Amino acid sequence: MNKTWLVMKTMLKMHYSRAGKKNTELMLLLLAGLMLIPVLFLYINLVGNAVSALYQFLEPLGQASSILGMLFLTLHLLLFIVSIITVLSAFYFAEDIESFIPYPLQPYQLLLGKATTPFIYLYFTVIAIYLPVFFFYGSVSGGSIFYYLFGIILAVLLPVIPFTIAAIILMFIMRFVNIAKNKDRSKVIAGILTLLIIILFNVAIRLNTNTEDVMEKFASFIQKQDGLLSMITAFYPPAYISAKALGDFSLVSILSFVGVLLLTALIFLLFILAGQRFYLKGVLGVNSGNKKNITTSKILTRVKNRNVFTTLILKELRIIFRTPTFFMQCVIQSLFAPIFLFIIMMLDTNSLGFVMDSFDPKKILLVLFLVTLFVFVANATAISSISRDGASWSANLFLPINMKQVFYSKIATAWIINLFTVGLFLGILLFAIKLPIEYTIIWLVIALLTSWFTSALGTYLDFTYPKLNWTDEQEVFKSRMVIFIALLIEFVPFGIIGMIVWKMDAVKGIMPTTIVLLIVLFIAIGVVHYVLMKKLSNGDHLKI
Amino acid sequence: MIEINNVTKDFAGKKRAVDQLNLTIPDGKIIGFLGPNGAGKSTTIKMMTGILPIDQGTISLNGFDIEKNAMDAKKIFGYVPDRPDMFLRLKGIDYLNFIGDIYNIPTEIRRKRITKLTQLFSIDHALGDYIQTYSHGMRQKIIVTGVLIHEPEIWILDEPLTGLDPKSAYTLKEMMREHANKGKTVFFSSHGLEVVEQLCDEVAIINNGKLLFYGSLDDMRKQYESNQSLEQVFLELTNNE
Repeated sequence: MNKTWLVMKTMLKMHYSRAGKKNTELMLLLLAGLMLIPVLFLYINLVGNAVSALYQFLEPLGQASSILGMLFLTLHLLLFIVSIITVLSAFYFAEDIESFIPYPLQPYQLLLGKATTPFIYLYFTVIAIYLPVFFFYGSVSGGSIFYYLFGIILAVLLPVIPFTIAAIILMFIMRFVNIAKNKDRSKVIAGILTLLIIILFNVAIRLNTNTEDVMEKFASFIQKQDGLLSMITAFYPPAYISAKALGDFSLVSILSFVGVLLLTALIFLLFILAGQRFYLKGVLGVNSGNKKNITTSKILTRVKNRNVFTTLILKELRIIFRTPTFFMQCVIQSLFAPIFLFIIMMLDTNSLGFVMDSFDPKKILLVLFLVTLFVFVANATAISSISRDGASWSANLFLPINMKQVFYSKIATAWIINLFTVGLFLGILLFAIKLPIEYTIIWLVIALLTSWFTSALGTYLDFTYPKLNWTDEQEVFKSRMVIFIALLIEFVPFGIIGMIVWKMDAVKGIMPTTIVLLIVLFIAIGVVHYVLMKKLSNGDHLKI
Repeated sequence: MIEINNVTKDFAGKKRAVDQLNLTIPDGKIIGFLGPNGAGKSTTIKMMTGILPIDQGTISLNGFDIEKNAMDAKKIFGYVPDRPDMFLRLKGIDYLNFIGDIYNIPTEIRRKRITKLTQLFSIDHALGDYIQTYSHGMRQKIIVTGVLIHEPEIWILDEPLTGLDPKSAYTLKEMMREHANKGKTVFFSSHGLEVVEQLCDEVAIINNGKLLFYGSLDDMRKQYESNQSLEQVFLELTNNE
């Protein structure tokens, strides 16, 4: 147990090490945190109102428990999806595991060490979603001391079941994928497929739900006490018994609570057993890549002359596409937002079309612009521009390359990767929303400029707060608040500008709005380029 | 020729890394750069190659100031860093091609040099593999190959022989000799005193950021009036500090 604890502590230290970080980053974070306080109040208020409204509606029907059922079900699903992503990167794409393997440690000990980082993310999710709903439900329903006691313990246990299910599925798949020749690539593919299947599964369930049928069942379930809870959680017992444990204090709630404890313990044990058996088999040799026997003469045909700028971009793209962690973070995750949007469109095309009709052209363009900005900010390519280089960064300094070219190539790389997102969006706008062609063209121009802006800003921020001395590629993205700072810098001014334009009667119609947006974007790009070049002429690239 | 004039480097909160260093390295010679761990060798080399800014003083390579004429200076030297763990996600051939593009080497010449050098170092079979899959020595060899394909005037090598197998070490040493014989400069740091004794025309010994000795091995023996080996002189010099 001591050793397990040691492994966990060491792995956490490596992930959250402040080595090579500046204190200014901490200050900025603090500032950002302070700025978020009003948002937090708004959020808590919103949750409070929603819970009490739902409670007042459902309580007279004897169905209040379904709020808890819904909460647990949604949380488990959300935690499961977060787990899939974090387990994949922490268990399979992180390279620090190799430094632990030579030591006399059991696979389960390594596994638990590896599980700490994902768990931190899961607990953040629990704190953000479960705790507010739980407390408001407790206060409106007049929860007893046992409600709060059981509820807090459940909060601690909550991530275990969804995490374990995700981990076991992935361990099982990776055990077999690891036999494949090109391990890096096959693991990425397996990871993406797992995610896609889950998303498709969700879509299929939603599309296949027969509304009339549901309504009929709903009517019969609602007749019974807590019937709605049974209906909602019919396919997923952990959510049912968790909700039951938080019901009025009785033998049923105690038994349910004990049930949750036992189930969690059992599933956790299963996780350890599966880990002991499958984990190392799936992870060993992950990063060994594959060796091909190609004749030298064939390889030499690949020798070609390119100009320096192209070769720099090509190098960046190669590294992103060939490093599973970078590929997942930079390419795949940037596609999430448009894919999720696409799913929503698939489910609910009519209502969105209606929304589009009811807006005036100015508002449509503004909304599209802000959504595009939001999606691009989520792209990790720009905010890892410099940090991705790691130990190779010094090559930019001793090779005869113009520094401006290095930075432009990094911005261009982020911009090129954004093109995937732009393409997907274009498809959604044209085929799902059926946006008129003139809007689509204007959006495309704005999106390409926005993409350059976010790419340049992200690169600038990463240049200001770089993390070069990582031992594992994961560290480039973990515990770094650059993305958060980027979000703040991009949303506060643009949100305010958006709101002003929205309210301003002087700006009307499609062309004036476009012109305003273009001017704002050009100014923003100009400012970022100016500060970036100033930093470069200061010689800051030598100081990182 | 490499000229290091009054160079000083400080790192915040630490003792002075390099202190008023003066060193002129002539053409046509192999110079060994020696010193215990933490003596300031790598810091000096990093300043010579433009990786670290110089706090005081100047460094010029064949007349080009590394800070003022950075691009011109960088075009004439080739640098092998102490740790060859770079560009791991590129294939060997991608890396060499990348270097070729940076130094603008015509395709045909590039092909010829890649073939020749990789065969000499016996890594031609691995050019299609990721550098990640290479052993330490192979990584060292691909970086050395990258330096040699643009045939730089000045070679700056930080621990170049570490991890090389005997045959490759021999090849590299021969190449260093050949390069110096052509009237070019080879500057390398090493902990292997035998290699230095066997290969170098001159040695520079540094400790605590200060130059303790610079001259030929014969000069050293004369100065210390002994027939001691380099190892003994080195230990004596660096212990007395």
